Amino acid sequence: MTKIELTVNSAKHTREVEDRTLLVDLLRDHLGLTGTHIGCDTSQCGCCTVHVNGRAIKSCTMLAVQARGAQIVTIEGMAKDGRLHPVQQAFTDCHGLQCGFCTPGMIMAVAALLNDNPHPSDAEIYHGLEGNLCRCTGYINIIKAVKQSAGVLRNG
Amino acid sequence: MFEISYLKAKSLSDAAALIGAHPEAKLLAGGMTLIPTLKQRLARPSHLVDIGGLPELSGIELKAGRLAIGAAAKHYEVAASAVVKKAIPALAYLASRIGDPQVRNRGTLGGSVANNDPAADYPSAVLALNATIVTTKREIAAEDFLQGMFATALEEGEIIVRVLFNVPKRAAYEKFPHPASGYAMAGVFVAETAAGVRVAVTGAAPGVFRWNDAETVLTKNMKPAALDGLAVDPNDMNEDIHATRAYRANLVKVMAKRAVQKLLATK
Amino acid sequence: MSDTHTASRREDLRLITGRGRYASDWNLPGQLHAAFLRSDRAHAEIVSVNAAPALERPGVVAVFTGADAIAAGYTRFPLMANFTNRKGASLLKPERPVLAHGKVRFVGEAVALVVAESALAAHDALDAIEIEYRELSASVHVDDALASSASQLHVDVPGNLSLEWEAGDDAAVAKAFEQAAHVTRIKIGTTRVVASPMEPRSYVVSYDAAAASYDVYTSAQGISLLREQIATLTGVPAEKLRLHLRDVGGSFGQRSGVYPEHAALMIATKKLGRPVKWVSTRSEGFLSDAHGRAIQMSGELALDHDGRFLAARYEFTCDMGAYLTPGGPSGHLRNVAKCMTGVYRTPALYGAWKVVFTNAAPISAYRGAGRPDIAYVVERLVDKAASELKIDRAELRRRNFIPLDAFPYKSPTGGVYELSDFAGCLDKALPAADWAGFERRREAARKAGKLRGIGLAVVIEGTGAGQYPQDQVALEFDAQGKLSIYTTTLSGGQGHETTFAAVVAQTLGVAPEAVTLRESVLGKEIIGNNTGGSRALVATGSVCKLAAQKLIERARPLAAEALELEPSQLEYGEGAFRSRDCEKVIGLLDLAQKHISKNPHPLNLIAEGAFGSTFPNGCHIAEVEIDPDTGVTEIVSYVAVDDCGNVINHSIVEGQVHGGVTQGAGQVFGEHAVYDRDSGQLLTGSFSDYYMPRAGLIREIHLSEHPVPSKLNVLGAKGVGESGCTASLPTLANATMDALRPLGIQDLDMPFTPSKVWHAIQAAKVK
Repeated sequence: MTKIELTVNSAKHTREVEDRTLLVDLLRDHLGLTGTHIGCDTSQCGCCTVHVNGRAIKSCTMLAVQARGAQIVTIEGMAKDGRLHPVQQAFTDCHGLQCGFCTPGMIMAVAALLNDNPHPSDAEIYHGLEGNLCRCTGYINIIKAVKQSAGVLRNG
Repeated sequence: MFEISYLKAKSLSDAAALIGAHPEAKLLAGGMTLIPTLKQRLARPSHLVDIGGLPELSGIELKAGRLAIGAAAKHYEVAASAVVKKAIPALAYLASRIGDPQVRNRGTLGGSVANNDPAADYPSAVLALNATIVTTKREIAAEDFLQGMFATALEEGEIIVRVLFNVPKRAAYEKFPHPASGYAMAGVFVAETAAGVRVAVTGAAPGVFRWNDAETVLTKNMKPAALDGLAVDPNDMNEDIHATRAYRANLVKVMAKRAVQKLLATK
Repeated sequence: MSDTHTASRREDLRLITGRGRYASDWNLPGQLHAAFLRSDRAHAEIVSVNAAPALERPGVVAVFTGADAIAAGYTRFPLMANFTNRKGASLLKPERPVLAHGKVRFVGEAVALVVAESALAAHDALDAIEIEYRELSASVHVDDALASSASQLHVDVPGNLSLEWEAGDDAAVAKAFEQAAHVTRIKIGTTRVVASPMEPRSYVVSYDAAAASYDVYTSAQGISLLREQIATLTGVPAEKLRLHLRDVGGSFGQRSGVYPEHAALMIATKKLGRPVKWVSTRSEGFLSDAHGRAIQMSGELALDHDGRFLAARYEFTCDMGAYLTPGGPSGHLRNVAKCMTGVYRTPALYGAWKVVFTNAAPISAYRGAGRPDIAYVVERLVDKAASELKIDRAELRRRNFIPLDAFPYKSPTGGVYELSDFAGCLDKALPAADWAGFERRREAARKAGKLRGIGLAVVIEGTGAGQYPQDQVALEFDAQGKLSIYTTTLSGGQGHETTFAAVVAQTLGVAPEAVTLRESVLGKEIIGNNTGGSRALVATGSVCKLAAQKLIERARPLAAEALELEPSQLEYGEGAFRSRDCEKVIGLLDLAQKHISKNPHPLNLIAEGAFGSTFPNGCHIAEVEIDPDTGVTEIVSYVAVDDCGNVINHSIVEGQVHGGVTQGAGQVFGEHAVYDRDSGQLLTGSFSDYYMPRAGLIREIHLSEHPVPSKLNVLGAKGVGESGCTASLPTLANATMDALRPLGIQDLDMPFTPSKVWHAIQAAKVK
């Protein structure tokens, strides 16, 4: 067991976990942040995507102990002061979600993508979403949501 | 994942000491291959020695015609690095095509090279650019280092510190991704160097290899059409449910031609 | 009814902020954790099981095995519909102990259940269970399973054949073929695929000894059917099964039935007196979730000199996997037979089925459940006939469409089609796809070294008629006067909270926010069907409207009383009752508010309706470009003209078509669950090996609606959940074949992987 401190959605947490605990299990089982989902066990689906120190990562492929001292943002931390993040807003505006299970990871991946590249081309969007699977939408409306939110974020 | 003890190395020498003290320990850098392997319970190391954040393994710089990249450099750092983009744009491009964005944010050069997955992208660049692998113990030439599927010259407790890539005149990488995993089903790195053209192929065969016939013809005539009469032997290629040997052999040639085309378009 | 165009759905807010509640988000105080040991053999006798070493492992509380399943008597799975052939034989339905006993029959079959204090501890103990197997030869392919030398999976199923079934008139078809000017033949199949909703299966089960009842927290396609199926399997009365169902991370038919794990966890929780939670890994899911499709098909079409269809004959060899799932046979038999004539007037029709057991994961419904399969073979056969006869593909179809004046049309194999305008759909789709200008684009592509093709399909499907004779909907006002709709359906992404509430709100003339949908909640004594078979809006949605109309009438006397008028003097509109002179007004919701102290609320009601199949249909056209160097097929355009009847919410309909078309595209271009034919091991056991559609596979779908409202329900809806998938299989395959046919390639089959397409091109070059 190892004691770790980390910041999740601006709140500091200290927990004692087994060394083999995955970050996603820490978030879901120890901190109750069940908005981050587990959709596979081979690091393909991206449902567990969160931001660690500003970068999108798959929290199923990182040990909780590796996140010691890190700044983590999950889907629960995206809306600020009752206002949805522009990416969240775009997903609902564009019908970019159906069952919603991939959606938190998808939103986290898109927010990170737009942070790196505020003006992505279609090809860059496809490339940027290679780490996220969706089974419901056919991705078409997700791409629309990426474009809408890119515009909103650029215009500040 | 089986039970495991996590140790965070404070320095390179600390890492070496920890590895020495625990014979069943494994090094952990980005963990993009290791953690999925552990999750599937396909490996059972006693300890993980985390070297991912060591400052001694970081840094990207151009020195004496060679691009030195720290082993802990993440794929996204290499892909985004102005130094890499200027010196060897093909290498930055290669890094930008590894896995997916989340993998590139964690995965490291050293981890990829040390693992020498036969479908990984980096080994093709290491081989084509005749890179030198600098470890805690010595410097190893690419051809001595890469020893076939998942095999390298690394000894017990030896840690990759950095990789020195020779800067080519021009180079290009083209990859056909595996339809499910995104790994290379055939990835071809073509480098035009002072000592001639080098062509390295990953993904298609049990290990990364140099395509000597292609190097010979391209050294004389750097044109896609120069490859027309050539073929790699399908019997040397991998086969699985996604691609036959013959198809992989074809992909090697097609990707090589496209890499040459791209190389010619670079300055 | 006015249309809703806004995209935002009522369910979205919680889902985009991480506040959805999916099955694995449930945790109960004191819960234990389960892990299943699964067979690593495709076919073997279980010689011995020794669980004792696992009990020694830290944290392990108990281990359950096949003996426990036999002791509980949990071996007989329900079947949603049985089928009997003309000789009087029915489906042979072997027993399936919920933990394997005596034998394992596919890789991934649950053999033992470990229950421990943590999920990690449960998984840690799996390798301590000692099982001795005696291996038997395995048949993962129907041809192998039907061979005389095949090992028999089930002692009571000779030749691994559950049933031979037929539909139509064999003699009439034979006669028509004798008179045919031309016969086109094709032999193809739909690949075995894994539905792979993004949410893995997860169950938390607890037992209340005092009440002898079980609480089951899971995701499903609706409360009634799952509860009934668990009851049938376990013998526990349905009223003792309390299902807790909330958000569902996609279903696609895969969650339509009871699974062994439901019952195995019930054994564990009853014995241990603590709740037990199991969360499937994706790897486990690939092995043990029900798979879909997997029908080998051969088709023959007889035509006269003018290209008119005289008869068609099909053979279907259905790979059911190792056991029958509750819903598997209905899809592969009934749904296929119902639409075997496609959209064409084919006077004589005959189909023969073989229902076969193989050493593979059991097959169940997957988006369309037989409908995409039959559409695939019919539409490929028609395309091939057009090519052989050198008749334009659109023209050959037009010549044979069931004409408008022939509806309602009774197909020779059972389906009674309601009014459909196939020619209208085709006429809209052809210009949208610039069908006429295609040869120019083919030529331009040829100059660029590419092979371009265009393909179309005109399809129809019979939606699910439902397991229950009626669908009921309850409308209730709570203590605060808020109106709730209760149904037995459960949305797995279809947006019912938005659509059903809109139906009720629009009928009542109140704001949608005034109405809340509560699906599949406990304690509502209503009956009705699952979400599935594209029928939720058609049936339950329609009853929502009937319920709202009934509410107005139920409220009328109370409104009259409140306004001191006779009921007949009142008019209803825009959410309120008014006197004719509009002097006196009372809002429906205000009226309800006045009565909230009464229990039950006097306006609470249950409405119901009975619905059979509706027939969504449409014409899709796709254009593809193949890179002959790599065999990669790119979808360059996609046009969909759909008649799903009246539309309540266009965004949701569009989303359903997008998703359905893309799932079809996944199957056409790569999805394939492959078992090694020798070892019986699943070679595509993760997303690293199993191809999944990713962003960019289809960039845009030009969608237009061609609604011919259904007369079978008050909404005029026909359903939309499966039509995208049904149409896209043949459309994309036909487009790909059109690109390849100029090279002389006739009979390539899905999945059109780059490797396969490249090889076909190479082989054609040699010829």
